[in-house]
Amino acid sequence: MKLSQREINDVVILEPKGKIMGGPDATLLHDKLHELIKDGKKKVIVDLAKVDWMNSTGLGILISGLTTMRNNGGELKLANVTDKIESLLTITKLITVFENYDSLEEALNSFKT
Amino acid sequence: MPKVIKEPGKIIIPSDVAYLQMLDEFLEETLRGFGVSESDIADIAISVTELANNAIIHGNKENPEKVVDIRIKLINGAVEIIVSDEGKGFDTLALPDPLTEENLFKENGRGIFIVRSLMDKVDIKIRKDNGTVIKLVKKIKRVHK
Repeated sequence: MKLSQREINDVVILEPKGKIMGGPDATLLHDKLHELIKDGKKKVIVDLAKVDWMNSTGLGILISGLTTMRNNGGELKLANVTDKIESLLTITKLITVFENYDSLEEALNSFKT
Repeated sequence: MPKVIKEPGKIIIPSDVAYLQMLDEFLEETLRGFGVSESDIADIAISVTELANNAIIHGNKENPEKVVDIRIKLINGAVEIIVSDEGKGFDTLALPDPLTEENLFKENGRGIFIVRSLMDKVDIKIRKDNGTVIKLVKKIKRVHK
C-alpha cells in the first residue's frame, strides 16, 4: 500500500493505494491518522478509490481513526468506497457508522454544511 | 529466523507480518493459475491474509522461530486452503460478536467473522500445544481453463 496526502481548504485527504492487509503499510495509515489528530486536523477524508481491498486490519484502522477523530471534535469520512470494501462494511455493519460518499467532491461538500 | 519456503500450492512464512505481502502475491499467482475470478481471488486473499495475520500475532506471538504454513489446492470446483500455525490455539466460542453495539467501534475482533462471511466452509481445529489448523473452502467461478 502507498499513501499520499493533500489538503483542500482545511480538509485533509488521504489517498491509500493498493491493499490494506496488516504489516508495515497498515501501520503507516494508522500512524498518519493519529499524527493528523495530534496536528489538530479535524476534517479528514479517506479516499478509497485506489484501494482494491482491505481485511479486518484495514477496517480496524478506519474505525480507530474515526473514533479518535470524533473524540477530538473532528470527523473522518470515506469517499469512493469500492464494491469489495462496501460489502465488508455492510457485513460488519460499519456502513452504519461511517459517512460514506460516492465521490471526493461530495465528501468535500459535506464538510461545508 | 526460518526461511520462506515456496512451492506450487504451498508457502511457509516466518512469524512476521512483513511477509503478508509475499503471501498475497503467492495467492494471487496461484489462484490466477487455477482460473479463479478476480472477485473470488479478492475474497480468498482477504480471508487468508486475515488468518495468517492472526496466526503470526495471536498464534505464534511473533516468535521468529515459528512459522505459518499455507497450502492451497483446487478440488471439484472449489478452492481449499489450509492455514496452520504453531501457537496454543483459541476458544472459537469465546470470540465476541463484532456486530453488537458495544463491539461495533472496537478496532479488533472482526477477522474470523469476515472469513466466515466470505468462505463457504471454515473448519477450525485446535491441536493442544501443537498449533491451530484452519481449513477454508470457497466454491469458485472459473474464468478460463
